[in-house]
Order: sequence, then structure tokens, then C-alpha cells
Amino acid sequence: MNRRTRLVVAGICALAIAPAVAVVIVHIPAFGHHPLPYGDAINRAAGAERHVTNMVTAVNFDYRAFDTLGEELMLVAAVTGTLVLLRGRRGENVSDRAAQAGDRPVCERSEAVTLACRIFLPLIVTFGLYVILHAGLTPGGGFQGGAIVASGTLLLYLGESYSLWRRLMHSLIFDMLEAAGAIVLVLCGLLPMLSGAAFLENVLPLGQTRALLAGGLILVENAGVAVAVTAGFILLLLEFLEETRATRGGEKP
Amino acid sequence: MSYVPWATAAWLSAVGIYGVITSRHYVHLIGCLTVVQSATYVALLSVGYRFGSVAPIFYTRSPSTPAVDPVLQALVLTDIVVGATITALLLALTLQVHKKRGTVNPERLRPFRQ
Repeated sequence: MNRRTRLVVAGICALAIAPAVAVVIVHIPAFGHHPLPYGDAINRAAGAERHVTNMVTAVNFDYRAFDTLGEELMLVAAVTGTLVLLRGRRGENVSDRAAQAGDRPVCERSEAVTLACRIFLPLIVTFGLYVILHAGLTPGGGFQGGAIVASGTLLLYLGESYSLWRRLMHSLIFDMLEAAGAIVLVLCGLLPMLSGAAFLENVLPLGQTRALLAGGLILVENAGVAVAVTAGFILLLLEFLEETRATRGGEKP
Repeated sequence: MSYVPWATAAWLSAVGIYGVITSRHYVHLIGCLTVVQSATYVALLSVGYRFGSVAPIFYTRSPSTPAVDPVLQALVLTDIVVGATITALLLALTLQVHKKRGTVNPERLRPFRQ
């Protein structure tokens, strides 16, 4: 099918769907006045039932934790697929030299860049850990914090060197952490069943509202997700950076 | 004005799909897919929004304060995380296509013949 045929087919489909979309847009309840019974019920009940103050975390790691389990496994599957595809020919061998653009000379990095990275790396990682730890209290959680920590580690590459970043980020360690995070989440579902509770039922002591260690099983699941997301994103960064590396003559790809 | 969010979501998915149809580069196509996906963020967050209400965080407020829907915010969170990893997977596939076939133009690719 060439481009013109595709556009004609798409145009016909769009014309067929357009009236339905228009009807939905006109008849959907007015913006800002939706009846939200499920959300309202959680807003009313979750604070007393689960001792957390961030309702999004309560939904993610407790009321709809089953969905989060599925999402987590999707994440692990996507990361694994990416690793398999990118490592394919190269195997697990890694290089310690950054990518070069053709024959252009490699410039020394400026001391200002190194200084800025050394200042911001601890700040960003600390902020990421703060976001992870305060999942139950304030906006944040394992997903967001994990992404912040993982991207923060890239400053090692920017400010120091590719070889240092490669030496510190062992892919074997992160492979295992990635799997461990997913296993923690699955065990959070299965272990409560040993006590006769339901899959993923929150059986741990809930702690005090507004304390850092409140929420029972939510804390464990959040930690598992944080580990899996951090490790997964670091693995993705590792493999894509490795992929940009051009090979020199005589070197194995 | 109340139809603006839904129209925005419909528009985002329409331009995204147009981009996918006319794409001549897989990286561009993946970018267009991300645009289609962002239509779902707009739609979900608009469904959960409510005038005169606060974020569903009750650290300093009483739980009876009117708040927006946390369920839809959790859905968007899921959406974003999975979207990011799927984008990475698709980019890895693009790299493989480039290595094996030497082109990333969908129109130049024909099925493998054994």
C-alpha cells in the first residue's frame, strides 16, 4: 500500500468514526462535574483504613495492587525484551569507552561540568530517595522516585567518564535487582495467602497515620517497585549507551 | 468550554495517527505513537478532574475536603511508566531493523523471504 492509498483509507475511517466522536464529546458529563463515586469512596475511606495520606499510592499499592502487579510484570517484560534485542550479538561483554563521532577528536570535559555534576548528583539521588520513601505521605512513590534516581546516575557519565559509569553500573547486579523487585511484588501477593488472607491483602500492621512507616504492605510493595523501576531504567540507559559506541578497526562488535 | 479537554484528546490522537500513517522513519513513528498515548493522559485526567477541589493528598487536610479522583491519577501513572518502557523496546527493535536491513523507512521494508 503506498502512502496515497493509506491516506484515503484513513480518511474514510476518520469520516466513519467522526460522528461517534462528536456525539461522545457533546454528551459526556460536563468537564469538572463528573460523578466520581469510586474515587470519592477511596478519598473518604483510605485514610482511616490504610493509614496513608496519599490516595494515589493507596490505589496503586493496595486497592488496585493487582493492576500494579500486572504493570510491573509488563515493565519487566519490556525491559527484558529490550535487553535481549540489544545484547543479541554483543553478548554481555561491555566496553569502557564512550561513543565517538567519527574521527572527531575527543575533547576533555570542562571542569565546570564535572563540578556541576558532582553537586547535582547527590542532590538528585537524595531527592529521588525522598520521593520513594514518602510514597504514602506526599505525592510520589516507587515509580516516580525510581525514574529520578536512575536518570540521576547518568550524571556520573556526564561529569566523570564513561568507564567510571560502566564500572559502577554492573549490569549483572541490576539484572538481579530488576528481577528481585518483581519477585517482591509477587511474594507480597502470595505470602498473605499463607495466613488465610486474600491475594495481596494488607495483613501487616498499619502503623500511625502521617508516620513514614505507615501503610503495612504498601511499604513493601513500594520498595519492590522502586527497586525494579530504578534497576530497569538503569539497564535501559546502559544498553542504549553501549549501543551508541562505535567500534574501532579490529575490535569485536 | 466544557468540551475543550475531550476535543484536545481527540485531536491529539488524530494527529498522532496521521503521523503514524505518513511516517517515513521509525523513530518519527514511535514519537507519533507517544503523541497518541498522550491523548489518553489528557482524557483520563479530564475525567477525574473536578472544579474547586484539591489534589488527593490529605496530609494537612481533612479527608472530607472535595478532591479529584485518585483512581484516574493512578491509571495515568501506570500509563506513563509502561509507555516509557514500551518506547525503549520499540527503539531497540528499530536499531535491530537498521542493523539487519540498513533502512528505517517503513515504506522500503518488505517482508522477509526465506
